[in-house]
Amino acid sequence: MKKLKVFLAQLSTKLGDVKGNEEKILEALELAKKERVSLFVTPELSTLGYGSGDIYLDKVNENLESLERIKAKIDDFYSIIGYVEKDSHGFFYNSACLISKKNIVGNYRKVQLVNYRLFDEKRYFKRGSKLPVFDIGNVKIGILICEDLWFPEPSRVMALKGADLIVVLGASPFERFKKEIWENFLIQRARDNIIPFVFCNQAGCQDGVTYLGYSMYVSAGGKILKTGKLLEEDYITVEVDLEESKRLRRRDTRLRELRREILEELIKAYEEMEDDRT
Amino acid sequence: MIELEFKKEELPLVKKAICNSIRERIEKFNFNGAVINLSGGVDSSLVTKLTAVAIGNERTYALILPEEGITPKEDVEDAIKLCKELNISYEVISINDPLKAFESSLRNLKGDIEWGITNLKPRVRMIYAYFYANAKKLLVVGTSNKTELLLGYGTKYGDLAADIYPIGDLYKTQVWQLAEYVSIPTDIVKKKPSAGLWKGQTDEEEIGYTYYQIDRVLFCLVELELSVRETSDFLNISEYAVNDLYERIVKNEHKRRTPTITKISRMCLDKDWKYPVERF
Repeated sequence: MKKLKVFLAQLSTKLGDVKGNEEKILEALELAKKERVSLFVTPELSTLGYGSGDIYLDKVNENLESLERIKAKIDDFYSIIGYVEKDSHGFFYNSACLISKKNIVGNYRKVQLVNYRLFDEKRYFKRGSKLPVFDIGNVKIGILICEDLWFPEPSRVMALKGADLIVVLGASPFERFKKEIWENFLIQRARDNIIPFVFCNQAGCQDGVTYLGYSMYVSAGGKILKTGKLLEEDYITVEVDLEESKRLRRRDTRLRELRREILEELIKAYEEMEDDRT
Repeated sequence: MIELEFKKEELPLVKKAICNSIRERIEKFNFNGAVINLSGGVDSSLVTKLTAVAIGNERTYALILPEEGITPKEDVEDAIKLCKELNISYEVISINDPLKAFESSLRNLKGDIEWGITNLKPRVRMIYAYFYANAKKLLVVGTSNKTELLLGYGTKYGDLAADIYPIGDLYKTQVWQLAEYVSIPTDIVKKKPSAGLWKGQTDEEEIGYTYYQIDRVLFCLVELELSVRETSDFLNISEYAVNDLYERIVKNEHKRRTPTITKISRMCLDKDWKYPVERF
């Protein structure tokens, strides 16, 4: 059976503590090495730490230097690291890069920035607009960042592009019923697309906000097969079954029954809604 | 059915989140510990217990600050009993002397002296808490809950003065639940809530509604985002009462904020600038 061993570093990163976060990431990388995993994942914005604040703006360069040092240590397996990206215009992105053999081999920019209630990502970041899938060995993976999963479309695009697995980096705060919300979203996206998901979420507490932790592996059939601790730092190793989706898709024909007319209706309805807004 | 009450399985997580956040602030800012003004009521008893759980009994300090003649004896006894049970350091200091000193120096002032003196009581208690905090390098842990914060039921720079509000996102109904869950003595949990500012004062009488009514209304307005009319229909409570509570919420925003800064520069510190309380 084709499996992919994934290490989810459910870290308690701290906003602005670039040095401390780097140490945590390197420590987790060492553990992952011992576990002989194929893929290593950190939470969203792990080099800088998540926690809405102008500190993001002060520490972007430090975070990029830190990423360089982390990159130099990644040789044995693929790693996905959440960080703040800076483009040639000087714009920032809430991004995740894919690293292999000390090189960045892929990059993803969060497409659905969050700006309600405590979240203020648009204050700092430009949104991404591409939904690539990446080859890691013989496996195709998609990367999503937190809120991206709360929309059905990004996962759907990646599934259609042939992703075998979708990796979600998160920094989702704890609040009442949040655990159930993540369970439901991940199960639903897995079922929608008949594809497995791994979710790596931030833990710990910053300025009164506790992060949920609760990283997890949800199978292509929509079953939660492993979860990390709630609220606390944890390391989770999972063996993702990459064949289940193909097996299920023999009789579950929903993905191939997707209809162009419906997608066109979706675009039309979206455009009408947008017009209504102006 | 509204989900105001915690389900049983939620309580351990709520407790953990609160304890983690107390511990985080103490550790990040290198405090030696925390001090709480303990009245013997359910809010301060719960906060004292959660603080002791979070950072250890040896780093938790309680100040019991009765006003002789006003504070019921049982409140002081309950508070002392709790401190002994938790094995934490505590001090009992009467606030009568400083109150008298203020009163005599303000004797000739014209105006609503009585109201000033009423609010002076929690402010004197605040001075003790911060004095103690400075002397021992402690964090002042506030005891206000969400119901009080929404209604502005607290004295600015008095009981509202604190470094953190660990139960500030819990309605009174939820405070009672969590207090029971962490085994706060029943005598304390069952006590009629009172700010203790005058003899026989109770919160419910002063506010004009029971906590049962208040919390349901606030939950609908704040958490469910219902309008005043919708809340009134949904709970079968008069629109007048709901509107009264709604107006209190809006009117008291100033108590939930730092003082408003007049904007002059491009980077006004309470409007344009957004830093978390953080240290690295």
